[in-house]
Amino acid sequence: MAKASTKTNAQNLQGNNACALAAVAAGCRFYAGYPITPSSEVAERMSLELPKVDGTFIQMEDEIASMGAILGASMGGVKSMTATSGPGFSLKQENLGYGVIAEVPCVIINVMRGGPSTGMPTRPAQGDVMQARWGTHGDHQIIVISPASVSEVYEQTVRAFNLAEQFRTPVVLLIDEVIGHLVETVHVPDPASLDVVDRKWADVAADKYRPYEAGKDMVPAMARPGDGYRVHTTGLTHDESGFPTQDPETVDRVSKRLLNKFDPHRKVIDHFEELNVKDAEVLIVSYGISARAARGAVKQARDAGIKAGLFRPVTIWPFPEKALVKAAKKAKRILVAEMNAGQLSLEVERVLGRDRVSGVNRIDGEAISPADIIDAIGKGA
Amino acid sequence: MDKKITHKEPVNVLVVGVGGQGVIMVSKVLATICQEHGYQVKQSEVHGMAKRGGGVFSHVRFGEQVYSPTIPKGSVDVLLALEWAEALRWVNHIRPGEGTFISDTQHIVPPFACRNRKRGAEAGYARETSDQIISRVNKGFALDATTMARELGNERAANTVLLGLLSTTLEFSEDVWCDAISRFVPPKTVDVNLQAFEQGRAWAAMDHGTPEPVVHNDGPTPVVVGREEHEMSDFVQLDINPAWCKSCDICVKMCPERCLKLDDQLKAVLTDPDRCTGCRICEWLCPDLAITVHRTPEAARAAAQG
Amino acid sequence: MAKKKQSAETSGPKEFDVMSYLRRDLFPHFLCPGCGHGIALRALMWAAHELGLDKDKIAIVSGIGCSGRLGAYVDANTFHTTHGRPLAYATGLKLARPDLHVIVITGDGDCLAIGGNHLIHACRRNLDITCMMLNNEVYGMTGGQVSPTTSQDRYTTTTPTGNTEATFDSCKLAEAAGASFVGREVTVQTPTLKNLLKDAIDHKGFSFVEVISDCTEIYGRKNDLGNSPEMILSQKSQMRPDSYGGVIVDEPFRPNALPTGVLTRSDRAEYGETYRSTMASSKKGA
Repeated sequence: MAKASTKTNAQNLQGNNACALAAVAAGCRFYAGYPITPSSEVAERMSLELPKVDGTFIQMEDEIASMGAILGASMGGVKSMTATSGPGFSLKQENLGYGVIAEVPCVIINVMRGGPSTGMPTRPAQGDVMQARWGTHGDHQIIVISPASVSEVYEQTVRAFNLAEQFRTPVVLLIDEVIGHLVETVHVPDPASLDVVDRKWADVAADKYRPYEAGKDMVPAMARPGDGYRVHTTGLTHDESGFPTQDPETVDRVSKRLLNKFDPHRKVIDHFEELNVKDAEVLIVSYGISARAARGAVKQARDAGIKAGLFRPVTIWPFPEKALVKAAKKAKRILVAEMNAGQLSLEVERVLGRDRVSGVNRIDGEAISPADIIDAIGKGA
Repeated sequence: MDKKITHKEPVNVLVVGVGGQGVIMVSKVLATICQEHGYQVKQSEVHGMAKRGGGVFSHVRFGEQVYSPTIPKGSVDVLLALEWAEALRWVNHIRPGEGTFISDTQHIVPPFACRNRKRGAEAGYARETSDQIISRVNKGFALDATTMARELGNERAANTVLLGLLSTTLEFSEDVWCDAISRFVPPKTVDVNLQAFEQGRAWAAMDHGTPEPVVHNDGPTPVVVGREEHEMSDFVQLDINPAWCKSCDICVKMCPERCLKLDDQLKAVLTDPDRCTGCRICEWLCPDLAITVHRTPEAARAAAQG
Repeated sequence: MAKKKQSAETSGPKEFDVMSYLRRDLFPHFLCPGCGHGIALRALMWAAHELGLDKDKIAIVSGIGCSGRLGAYVDANTFHTTHGRPLAYATGLKLARPDLHVIVITGDGDCLAIGGNHLIHACRRNLDITCMMLNNEVYGMTGGQVSPTTSQDRYTTTTPTGNTEATFDSCKLAEAAGASFVGREVTVQTPTLKNLLKDAIDHKGFSFVEVISDCTEIYGRKNDLGNSPEMILSQKSQMRPDSYGGVIVDEPFRPNALPTGVLTRSDRAEYGETYRSTMASSKKGA
């Protein structure tokens, strides 16, 4: 409570509820979803909160429709969000791809559970790291964020909306069942004190406007229906006019703009936490709930005289590779702790090479404990 | 008889045209013959989205061992084109100094060639003449296969005329070709197709000297129907945009006055303006939105006077 | 009924010129010769014109397939979405932007097969969206495969021995699911189709219109249904037009004939308004 200022309001909040409150604070005025464990509380809270701010909540007929509806609402100019879990996230993938190629800002909350398929609906997992990155077909970029506490769920939900708006992209928030259902004290900031970003709206004359022509920031301004622009939006590969094209030169140009869209903005997008990395000989890379165990393990290891450190990517896609290379400079061993059979560790291996990297994995529906990590540190020593 | 293409290295035949012409049929005939001769064949094609009028191509490669399913640029031994603009699109893929070029000179103007919204605007279409093209290739045949087939009684057999030409450049016997064609064309059209095939072979054997200029190379003649061209009735003006008309015949058949027809370019035209009552049925039913009926101010005045 | 009328009264009805509703530089359109979709598109624009809709406020949401491409030709806010999902996108759009006239253009495969679930729930929900389903009995874009509305015994590329499956009656489906406005018309009756679409757009609530379109090049050819003029005329003869606005009576001479015209119309509460008013009163109460 020491840090609580007059502008914050300490509340005991569940992760999923914090997510809903943060969404509304970030300007979300449309929610469409479908019930799925362990994310349903997000929908329930949104159905209460949105009417208070003249927003709209709708429970759609299925997961696919929910994704379609939030894209429709966002194309209508309203910030929108949906929440789901692994199986529902799979169903949303085609329309997620539409959001990517048509550049429609939106936020997708995925409260991860055990998988594949129905898996373990009530047990935590971090198995959707690769689905979030590569779930929709075709080459594409996407922003994926993984918070590690309820406070961070709040902060990162707001940030997810801001990134979605600023870069006209779907943003995925990968929460896990533990964080989603965890209750912690959150200093809820005064909504007025929040930095809330709105997308860049078209403001040129309608005959000058090219819907997918971007300036240096590589993000095109969006037209709101009713403002006189009358543009065409399609999931087909389109040129700057918004109409489909198959001309190889054009396709190459527009696809590369889309693929490189985040490059000039990595300072804003990348987000990570470092703990004792400067002299770390054993570097633990972890995110979400597992990173909390890693924090404990680092402390215990330091107490035992082992130079351990933690690198915790908060934005996991695009992967903060430069920061990791820097953090891993002195490290002889890299341990990637995650609740899957080794997904982000593939990316860590790509960045740091395979020699130093090994995984601390659990796929039994139980969270990784500090002891698991300490064991792994001990085994290699 | 022409020299046969050697078959040690894969032989590459590229068949191109537009949707509905029979590109796939032609390549199937060829691929089947090759396969039945013990060659390894790869046939890969683009169609599906290529609806009527859209570009279609099919790569046929055969030889002792064929790895890649597609023909690298500059390695086409025979380019067989069923449509002139498609021929030009692919002519650069022919093996320089060696490949053979075979094309129908008939023009099918694709929808995307008509980007000018002005009524009666000329469609963008290749301007190259057949002798210009043939001078660029080792060996070239440009013939009006469509007319040849039409004279035989079935315009759709134009592709078989071209198969006749193709057969003279490859090693397989005439009987083999006839047998394969008989299997792949609709049963009712076997005879006309075999005749078309013979015509193609005969055409190849003839000495053509310098290639004839292309018969249909004027591009689509703009057909503007309006006051300038026709003496219209005082009451109505019928605008038909030939660049949009796709020759479906609906307006011709549905006109209660029977005053529309398809001209020799298969575009709708008004034949008898005096009979046109401006009933708008052609306008309503034109799926291409190519017909606009203007009821002129005179018409309004006449209506007001009762 | 005057809900959406805006300029028609004030500026006086101008003669309908479809050109002013088209993105003309995209023409000629990509449809095959004789495809009825073009006729339906004109009827839709005509209806919008007669209702005096502001083009800036028209949002056309379409799915995938031949029907899905139509939206691009209209000079309005057009959204070409994913296969089967236009109603889902439209639901989000309409709820977020109640001021827009949201019109969905979809096809028989898009709407009844892959998107069937969205159709029945859109009917049930009764949000103010107009859904124009172009039924040409076939998947044209992919080359002519069987669809949920392919007539029995008809040949398609995936029913080489004739279709053995039963056919959906989409209007009955929409009605049973609760659509508050259901209608059907053939393309050849263009002015009537225009009137039906006008009524549908003007209707407050979810309106479903099945347009019997023709696929001459693929389906017609494969089934020997004649060329385009013959196909659109024979469609008319297979319909039972006496039902427009009236009672549907069985016609013993044409037992398989489908009724056309307005088949259902009710003044059930529109969902968007219900939601907003309920939420507003709960806010006041709290």
